[in-house]
Parts: sequence; structure tokens; C-alpha cells
Amino acid sequence: MEGFAEQKVPGGKMVSVKLVYGPKIRSVQILGDFFLHPEETLPRIEKALVGTSPRAKKDEISGKIAKVLAMNNAELIGVTPDAIAETIRMAVKK
Amino acid sequence: MEIHDAYTNMGTDEAILEAVRDGKAEPTIRFYRWKPSAVSIGTFQSMEKEVNTARCRELGVNYIRRITGGGAVYHDLDGEVTYSVIAPESFFPHGIRESYAFICDWIIAGLKTLGIEATFAPINDILVQGRKISGNAQTRKQGVLLQHGTVLYSTDVKRMFSLLNVSAEKISDKMIKSVEERVTSVSKYSGASIEETYEALLKGFTKGKEYKQGSLSGDEEVRASELARTVYSTDSWNFSR
Repeated sequence: MEGFAEQKVPGGKMVSVKLVYGPKIRSVQILGDFFLHPEETLPRIEKALVGTSPRAKKDEISGKIAKVLAMNNAELIGVTPDAIAETIRMAVKK
Repeated sequence: MEIHDAYTNMGTDEAILEAVRDGKAEPTIRFYRWKPSAVSIGTFQSMEKEVNTARCRELGVNYIRRITGGGAVYHDLDGEVTYSVIAPESFFPHGIRESYAFICDWIIAGLKTLGIEATFAPINDILVQGRKISGNAQTRKQGVLLQHGTVLYSTDVKRMFSLLNVSAEKISDKMIKSVEERVTSVSKYSGASIEETYEALLKGFTKGKEYKQGSLSGDEEVRASELARTVYSTDSWNFSR
């Protein structure tokens, strides 16, 4: 199945998610006008989410995102791991 | 102030970044315009989602993905001035938010010389009387900071909307009015020409700094053309998301 969702983070930027999933996430693309330094971290986050249950709790998804950010010493600006996780869950619900 | 197509403009910014990284270029400030006019999108945005590429092609407007984050910008040839600042990271505050404020102060100083009182609005905007006059985007690569941004000189909101993928519903007069209420430009506050706006920004950016006006080195020009040809003008880059 495919899913799409987007939201404006309060006080922040737009984030949207394109999802291909079955029982597990097959691919995820995170889009938006946020900032992430270094930028190369985003494909790593997307890769780390593959294989996760799309119905996993928000904390589990945001935890995986936060782990990749920490491993890459990366800074996310205008959106949070929680907001991305929430958008992924919205994409599944639709 | 230089005028180039979108691919050369973005190729030039990256070529200078590489030259500064390799110690082959001094810290550089550029001012430039876009001919033909162009839409640039942030590095994490989707071209298909954000830009009406069919309409762009009809009107001869370029579309391009930047290496920096942030949102879609319409670079009208006669409607804005773009700048870039490329220098070692050590020249700037360590924090990204703080470094936006640091460079945006130069824009604010430039606008002030035109009699325009502007304020920095984190994360990356500059406002005049609560309306956006400048948007900015930054990346850091291998110890070099590149920030580029736009200073709106005059805005044609209807044209901008026709190039961006905003639903027909949102292009209602009400929506245009709402954007016009959120966006402003130099021409609304000053009789300065676009060249005079550039001169004012140059003053703001160089205030208190030793600088010399120059042009790209031969190597930078060659590399800029190569990046324009092999990266920035390609669908594989522009439609990579």
C-alpha cells in the first residue's frame, strides 16, 4: 500500500511523508522545507525506517530517527523526530 | 551583480564552496540575478509536488533543486536580488540558528541604508512590518558554510502562484491577498532601483570588512559550468525527490 500525509509543524516548517508499506515499511520519503545538517543524514533516516512496522508507536519511530541523528551528529531544524513519526502514522491511517 | 541562468548560478555557488574548501579561493560574497527567471526548491522538497513544471516550460522559467534546505522560491529576473556567502565555518557562530542571525544582520544593515527597518525572524526569514522580505538557506560542507538567500525587490504574487503547485482553490483572490499581506518587497518602501538595492546590500554585507571586488577564477568558472551541466540541469538531480 501507499500512503501520503503532510503537516505544518507548529512554529516550524512543512513536513510530508510518502510511504510504501505492507506489514512493514518498504520505503519512506521524507519531504519538506525544513533544514537538516548534514543533509546526507536524511537518506540514512529513511533507510533506518525501512522494516519498521508502519503502525509502530510514535516513540519507536521517533526513537529510530533520533538515533540516526545522534550517530551522524546531525541537527534537524524546523521539524522534530516526533513530528516526522506522527506524519508517518498519519500516512498509514489515510 | 551577475546575471546567469539557474544552473550556472547554483553551479557557481558550489564551485566557490569547493574552492574555499581547498584553500583556492578567499571567503566570497556574491550578488546575482536569474535569467531566465527561475523557481528553486529546497533540497528536501519534491519538484513534482512543489512546482508546476509544465507552466514553467510554457513561460520559459527554469526550475532547479538547491543543495540547501528551505522552501520554494520564485526568482523573478526583475523582482529580487539573490546573494550567497561562502566562507570557512570558523568565520561564523557555531550554532546554525545563530549563524543565520549573524548573516541576516548584514541584509538588515543593507536595507537600513535604503531607510527600511527590518528584523530577523528565526529560523531564516527577515521581516518588514511583520511581512517577509527575505528568505535564507544554509548548508555546511567539509568545514565551509554556504548561505544563500533572496531579497524581494518587487513581487508578482499571481505569477508566482502560477508557477508553484498550489491548488486552484488556494489561488483564489482571498489567498493571493493573504500572501500579499504576508510578503513585502523593497519597492513598497523605497524608490531605489534594483541596482541601487544591490549597492545598499553590498554596503550592508561589507560593512567593517576588508574586501575587494573580483571575479571567478578560471578554475571556478570551469567547475561551475561542469556542475551546471552534470548536476544542476539534470532531471536526475532536480527530480531526485
